[in-house]
Amino acid sequence: MTARLDHEVRALRTATTLAAGDHIACVRVRGSGATDAIDRVSPRPAFARAGKMTHTLVLDDDARPIADLYACCDEDDWFLLAEGMPAPALIEHVRARAAGLDVALDDLSPSHAMVTLNGPYAWELLGELTTPDVIGLPYLGFFHADGFTCFRGGKTGEYGYDLLVERDRLGALRDQILTVGRRFELAEISLAALEIAQLENLVWNPRRESAPDLTPIELQLQWRIRYDREYPGAAALHRRRRVAERRAVLLCADRELADGARVVADGRDIGGVLHAGRSPTRGDWLAIAIVERALAHAGLAGFEVGDAVARTLSAPSIDNRSLLVDPQRHAFATRDTDGFPPLVRP
Amino acid sequence: MTDLEIRSAARAAMLDRLRGLLVVHLQLGRDPDELDPDAPLFGSGLGLDSLDAVELVVCLESEFGVRIEDPVALRHSFRSLNKMIDLISATRGAP
Repeated sequence: MTARLDHEVRALRTATTLAAGDHIACVRVRGSGATDAIDRVSPRPAFARAGKMTHTLVLDDDARPIADLYACCDEDDWFLLAEGMPAPALIEHVRARAAGLDVALDDLSPSHAMVTLNGPYAWELLGELTTPDVIGLPYLGFFHADGFTCFRGGKTGEYGYDLLVERDRLGALRDQILTVGRRFELAEISLAALEIAQLENLVWNPRRESAPDLTPIELQLQWRIRYDREYPGAAALHRRRRVAERRAVLLCADRELADGARVVADGRDIGGVLHAGRSPTRGDWLAIAIVERALAHAGLAGFEVGDAVARTLSAPSIDNRSLLVDPQRHAFATRDTDGFPPLVRP
Repeated sequence: MTDLEIRSAARAAMLDRLRGLLVVHLQLGRDPDELDPDAPLFGSGLGLDSLDAVELVVCLESEFGVRIEDPVALRHSFRSLNKMIDLISATRGAP
């Protein structure tokens, strides 16, 4: 199991991967009030420009993030891609706040499936699958290809594409990806591998890093909200902003870190681990912990977590290869001679 | 104060200084405390672009005396405020 996970994460960090996207809910929003409906629920303004995606959140009235959301403008309609919230709940959340608007919300899961491609050479695989023009698809952009819709997002620090395809065409698309993928050492990976990659990059994971008393302020997600807008949870956020005393930090240790473990500093309990896991890329353990704000800084040693001695890190915890892979200059075939530095600095 | 608290306070001071510089120099239209230390600076995060990156390079040199010659180090160090603090600290010594 561990060896399998290591292989999957290694493939994601160095080559190409394919994963099922069953954890992503997809909702289509139609009607003349679609844009206004999105605007009412998104804590940050959503780009109402065709082919553009906005990475935002769904908050409850207590400002707790309950889903990670891409709002994707498709001419007059929108796609909502959500993690952490099933489509019926997302539809209910939007509908409850769309009073007076002409809006139709459809759960696409009965008719469509999602697969996700990640890795520093995912762009090249996708280019062979569709058209080389995909290389020019900007981050947080999407387009309709022959038989599927391709969203460029990614939560692993690598090139990432979510493909939305009709269910009766899913098998053919998967076969096509697997065939083309042979030239890119494509690995089929699990949700567990995606989640480890997210942890390595400190990308919020709604399935593992949510708690009733945590808001975007504690979770370092303020870049996904604005304080000058009205949305569910806005009032609670204003209140919390004045009294927030904790913040998320990334911890690493040579020994096992566990979900829920207490974090001790100078003999004092200063917080707890929200989500922990072993990093195959780094070869140590990582954890997101919520600790007292005064000590919630990177680059500090001397924390005790269970039996482990831990230190705080700056995010991301690795040097993602995708940051250096330039589709105009690099290719999977030349990866060994392109002279990239290691994924983890000594 | 304990040694850990002293080191943490030094990081906090550096973070506050960087936040203030970013808000002023890049005209972010946000309060400094909205800039979370591990939030992505470019792309979907605070939405900085290549012109902002040039401004940041100039800012690091003029305010901290940090000159970055290596483009790879530059890209990795501009991923978050914490990464920038790591770079400044490594160049100038603690925190």
